[in-house]
Amino acid sequence: MKKSGALPYAKITGVLAAGAGVLLLLPLAGLDAFLLNVLTLGFFVAVFAGSWDIVGGVAGQISLGHALFFGAATYACALLTSLAGWPFPLAAAAALLFSAAAGAAVGALSAPLKGPFVALLTLALGEAAHEFVLGQTFFSPRGAYSWGGEGGIPVLLRSQPLSPWTAYYAALAFLVLSTWLMLRVARSQEGLIWTALSGSELSARASGVDILKHKRRAFLVGAALAGAAGIGFAACVGRATADDFSLELSFQAATFAAVGGRGTIVGPVLAALVLHSLLQGTGIPPAGRVLLYALALLVTLRFFPGGVAGTLRERARRRRMVVQGNGEVR
Amino acid sequence: MSPLAQVLVDGIFTGASYALMAAGLALILGVVKVVNLSHGAFFTLGAYVAYVLEAKGVVHPVAAVFMAAGIAFAFGVYLGKSFINPVRSHPFAVAVGSLGFAVLFEQVAQMLWGPHPLSIDLGAPWATFHGVTLRRWGVISFLLSLGLTAGLSLLLSGPWGLPLKLIAEDEEIARSVGMDVEKIRYLTFGAASAVGAAAGALLAPAAAITPTMGRVPLILSLIVVIASGMENMWTLFFLAVGLGLLSNLGAYLLTPSWSYVLLLAVICLLLVLRPSGLATVAPGRDY
Repeated sequence: MKKSGALPYAKITGVLAAGAGVLLLLPLAGLDAFLLNVLTLGFFVAVFAGSWDIVGGVAGQISLGHALFFGAATYACALLTSLAGWPFPLAAAAALLFSAAAGAAVGALSAPLKGPFVALLTLALGEAAHEFVLGQTFFSPRGAYSWGGEGGIPVLLRSQPLSPWTAYYAALAFLVLSTWLMLRVARSQEGLIWTALSGSELSARASGVDILKHKRRAFLVGAALAGAAGIGFAACVGRATADDFSLELSFQAATFAAVGGRGTIVGPVLAALVLHSLLQGTGIPPAGRVLLYALALLVTLRFFPGGVAGTLRERARRRRMVVQGNGEVR
Repeated sequence: MSPLAQVLVDGIFTGASYALMAAGLALILGVVKVVNLSHGAFFTLGAYVAYVLEAKGVVHPVAAVFMAAGIAFAFGVYLGKSFINPVRSHPFAVAVGSLGFAVLFEQVAQMLWGPHPLSIDLGAPWATFHGVTLRRWGVISFLLSLGLTAGLSLLLSGPWGLPLKLIAEDEEIARSVGMDVEKIRYLTFGAASAVGAAAGALLAPAAAITPTMGRVPLILSLIVVIASGMENMWTLFFLAVGLGLLSNLGAYLLTPSWSYVLLLAVICLLLVLRPSGLATVAPGRDY
């Protein structure tokens, strides 16, 4: 948030700071355990939305299968801790590597594709993974019941369960850290190349950029971050289910990004935090929630087809021009 | 022998209706020039219309087709005019938005009819040859699909298809000779949606009717359209029948969910092997 101009969020640094203050204060202000838990999970969902924005917003690769990376991490965590008996930190590290590898694989497959075909391929890969996981059952080592599918697999932490307070602050720290990291990445040399790619692949290639390599990298980074969010989410919920792979989850990520402003990182993160907390905290049934997400998305897309941030930036530019040139546009 | 023969016959029958659905998708791809991910929702809509009619005592494919097509045409025109047309030039808005409509419809269907699979009871079989059962609905739906696909292909090659072909070829010229391109676009979108819903109504008894049932035919028709393009209706038809057979065989030899995975694998393979995709949806500007 140092340099102004490039991102509209430079002007709302103060607001962001105030928001962070409110989030830090909330548990002390006597928030009940349910809402605390909703917000804790919301922080992970927010990072997931931000990780979508790395791939879909900054790099412009429309991904409709982002839940694949999230689910890969939660499932790896659950299987390694419950079935293989690994300690949680080791399993988390392996899960992170696994989701990053999944990202590299998807990136390698989708890199030569353009526009809507990236969306189709990621949609198909995500659906295939979901369908595959839905049909897999594992016999639990203890007791004669089976794990997997809709019921899910437990994630064993093997330590004292964290108090809701500790979990909340840990998740908040994770959110702030990841958002900072994603902003750094988006403004680095690499991020600049991704932005160029999403603007026009042709001109990026003409200026000597190896577009395939950079597309693969965008998927790798986005997938690793989605995996990190998945690990935290699974640790908090204590369970990995087939829903972690679902199309609805991928769709939610795209919705948060569209509503918050694609390519801005902070926008999707905030949109995810606000929408998730509002809809989960008020106890609307899951079907109604997805319905409201879809409605929010469609309204946003209809009126800001080029993205919220882009449209607002354009408007701000117009207004500036009106002031500078004596009341005339352009 | 006879269970396999039954699976093959059913596969051909369902494939014919999938061809109808794919024809609709190809029409949208060619004329509106978008990859429409909400096409599966119209299929589901058609199936639910057939179910509701059956529950009310009207068990006839023709009635179900006309009812479903009428409703879907109305919604399709609305969707085409108020959403797809204004956001057409933004690939993100089209892909995510049309998926958003599908998700929206899935949730509404779940609220109206519940998440549990419903089915249509067709009564006694119509005829039996060597252990292969033919049902009246199946035969009529096969003939109807065949007829509608043939009709569509005839219509497109006749004078009515000319504006559509011109828009698919070069919309600037179409506009310059005084065609209302936007109007033709949303009418095409409505008609194609109606065709998709008709396929859903025809296939309703062949599948479990659930809110997410439209995903399989959507993937299947996407494969058909990507592989065959939209020039020739009959390539499209035979490809759809082939895929219908494949998916039915997959469901019979493995499980129904594996046949979906099989189709998804086919589309992934197709996209990876043909990265340039379709010429019809890759307009002059690059994404």
